[in-house]
Amino acid sequence: MKNIGKILLLLCLLTACGTKEDEHLSVYRNMDDLNGKKVAILTGCFQEEILEKQYPEVEVLRIDNAADMVQALVTKRCEAIVLDDYMVNYHSHSAKGIVPLEEPFVVAEMGVCFAKGPDTQLLDMFNAFLRQIKADGTYDEMYDRWMYHAHEAEMPHIPLSTDGKPLRVATCSTAPPLDFVKNGKLVGLEVEIITRFASSIGRPIIWSDMNFSSIIPAIVRGTHDIVVAGINITPQRQESVNFSDPHILCHTLVAVRQENAVGYALGAIDRVDATSFYDKVKDSIQRNIIDEDRYLMIWGGLKLTAMIALLACLFGTLFGGVICWMRMSRHTPLRRVASFYINLMRGTPVLVLLMIMFYVVFAGTSVDAVVVSIITFSMNFSAYVSEMFRSSIRSIDKGQTEAGIALGFTPARTFIHIVMPQAFKHVLPVYKGELISLVKMTSVVGYIAVQDLTKVSDIIRSRTFDALFPLIMVAILYFILSWIFAAILDFIGKKVG
Amino acid sequence: MIQISHLRKTYDNGLEVLRDVNATIGRGEVISIIGPSGTGKSTFLRCLNLLESPTGGSIIVDGQDLLSKQTDVPRLRRKMGMVFQSFNLFNHLSVMDNLCIGPVKLLGKSRKQAEARAMELLEMVGLAEKAHAMPSQLSGGQKQRVAIARCLTMNPEIILFDEPTSALDPTMVSEVLGVIRTLAKQGMTMVIVTHEMHFAREVSTRIFYMDQGVVYEEGTPEQIFDHPQHERTRVFINRIRNYHYVIRSPRYDLYQLQGGMALFCTRYYLSEHIQHQVQLLAEEVLQVIPLDKGEVDLALRYSEECHTISLELLMPPGIVTVWKSPQFAPDALSLSIIQGLCDNIIESVDDTPEGPRVRLIFNLKQNEQ
Repeated sequence: MKNIGKILLLLCLLTACGTKEDEHLSVYRNMDDLNGKKVAILTGCFQEEILEKQYPEVEVLRIDNAADMVQALVTKRCEAIVLDDYMVNYHSHSAKGIVPLEEPFVVAEMGVCFAKGPDTQLLDMFNAFLRQIKADGTYDEMYDRWMYHAHEAEMPHIPLSTDGKPLRVATCSTAPPLDFVKNGKLVGLEVEIITRFASSIGRPIIWSDMNFSSIIPAIVRGTHDIVVAGINITPQRQESVNFSDPHILCHTLVAVRQENAVGYALGAIDRVDATSFYDKVKDSIQRNIIDEDRYLMIWGGLKLTAMIALLACLFGTLFGGVICWMRMSRHTPLRRVASFYINLMRGTPVLVLLMIMFYVVFAGTSVDAVVVSIITFSMNFSAYVSEMFRSSIRSIDKGQTEAGIALGFTPARTFIHIVMPQAFKHVLPVYKGELISLVKMTSVVGYIAVQDLTKVSDIIRSRTFDALFPLIMVAILYFILSWIFAAILDFIGKKVG
Repeated sequence: MIQISHLRKTYDNGLEVLRDVNATIGRGEVISIIGPSGTGKSTFLRCLNLLESPTGGSIIVDGQDLLSKQTDVPRLRRKMGMVFQSFNLFNHLSVMDNLCIGPVKLLGKSRKQAEARAMELLEMVGLAEKAHAMPSQLSGGQKQRVAIARCLTMNPEIILFDEPTSALDPTMVSEVLGVIRTLAKQGMTMVIVTHEMHFAREVSTRIFYMDQGVVYEEGTPEQIFDHPQHERTRVFINRIRNYHYVIRSPRYDLYQLQGGMALFCTRYYLSEHIQHQVQLLAEEVLQVIPLDKGEVDLALRYSEECHTISLELLMPPGIVTVWKSPQFAPDALSLSIIQGLCDNIIESVDDTPEGPRVRLIFNLKQNEQ
């Protein structure tokens, strides 16, 4: 009791500290003022190295997409963010209260990535295309549309060829205004450039929406032909990919919160508006679900998550049965193989396995990312399930088998009629738990460009800058999905039992 | 019906359970297999329907070699029911389903036919009331009776009972034995591994006494229980307990011998009076027998079955002549004490690996106990 009291006291103190307003606001004029502070940066971007080398005293926080960086800044998880100018412009429009420092962090050129190798035909075609649109004014028109008016901009209709070898293009849709999702469609400056390019060479496009950190590997492994994601041209990257001529000139800025910027007095900060909770929820629903028909995207993500989980469960269970049979076989080699497989699957994080499957095993094949996800999760699930099966079969008294055999059943039929029904009852509760964790585990498929429920929430967050609502919504959807799966299993259990 | 020859079974760990089992089981016979624990009774039984696969030998069932590769063993097993020590009812099925699963799935009977037959059998074992109970709701005795009924649903030609009452409370043993008795009366061929000696004697047509991995002795219940031919059989049947002591010279340690005897008597709950009698008998016998002619093996034997006590001496042949000679006269007092304590004294000559030895058995008076 004493301990519980202490813990409660500690919690109260922590909460009190957390809610306490900072009385003395620091003012940040340039990077030097940020020494010893937390600064967020995009994982895998080239500025990371500059930040670490030039400002070794800065505490670097690596975040996977721009929207989360802005959120981190707004929610005071960091003091500043290093981000390209067009993104800062875009975000300071959407999320009020972030301001760029005057001095740019670095100025760099961006390029479109092509596969490294002697065959530069596609690259040459693109460079020619780029020169042409810069000359005829199409480029300036596009630049103006997306860089300055992204919030109102509409993607013009560009006719694409339907036959011919499709261009496989990887992008990261959390980088507005270059690449982002609006009204459920991929849009943005780079998206338009690539679409126009594909149109000009008469090829259709297959887009893959991936995480920024896994986008360069995609082209290195040959799963894609082109990568666009606001990628800066750096010597390091040039070793792995071929860059096109620079298509965008980019000023990287350092952005801080309004109250920390020069010239903003404490009183000038917009105070939290006094809208009611109900209105806030209504507003969130409007912005996150209804605007731009986002519910369609959410529904799509939900369906994909459910499908991956369901099929992985189905195949995983069947395959798990086979593994279990091998594991319990009389033949030592079979047992060894099964045992090795189980240990391997259980000993590797499923995310790592997923990446290996996508970027190594299925690299260069046309196997869909969703199929790769299903295969990967089936493999993972089968390992856990086979051990569950084994332990529940083991838990059935040997006398049951003997009685079946003595009655005249063959060993196989004894297993089917006597052992399996009993093992089924044993395994059901643990199996249910494993299935629920499978549903939740699928949330990592976004890493290989599958637009599942979690990925959808990332996309929505990158547009609406509402940190809380999409996450809560997705959490509830996962909960409901798991609940439905568990209910189905209970139903089957009752039917069989 | 079943012919077993030179059956051998060695486990993977090298333990040889069955060395050389030869037996014939005829139709209509009720055979009880008795013997000490760990002598392969259950293993033998389980070899008969190949729950254990024998290492060697042959089992011929109705002319079919059970161990030949061509034999459809599952089909043959349908003719051989088995009742287990731990019942092994199918826990996920009701009593009725336990009885129907075999006929429906294996014999291709309709559910209706199977249920009608199951009900008949449940009535026979007195459990018609429990047809829809689950196994977990039954007592041990009820479970075993259901297990017997389950066996009978397959219309077996022979039933193998593997210690059917060993896992039961004493109060439930009789209900199970009652059912087996009924089956015996109906002429069912049965092989029963059991520790229930009285039951075995009453119900069996033949008894196999198994020991040391072989059928050590076989015969009618009378032969085995009343006139066992072999020493080991006798020891087992009469539940004889032994105390051995070897006397090597006339200067043997009498106190050690008497202490050992006292401990033996205490262990088997023999009265202090008997203990004194036994000690006195031993002392007087050793008084009259010359101990300088060679080693004398002394054994005190107590049969828990018949409550008889005897003192046995195994001696070199020369001593007996001394025992009978006139020199014996001076110890007339000892002799009269010995004769007073004993019902009778039996003398015989045994052939042992060390040559012929004389066995003297002093049977303590019954009324003295």
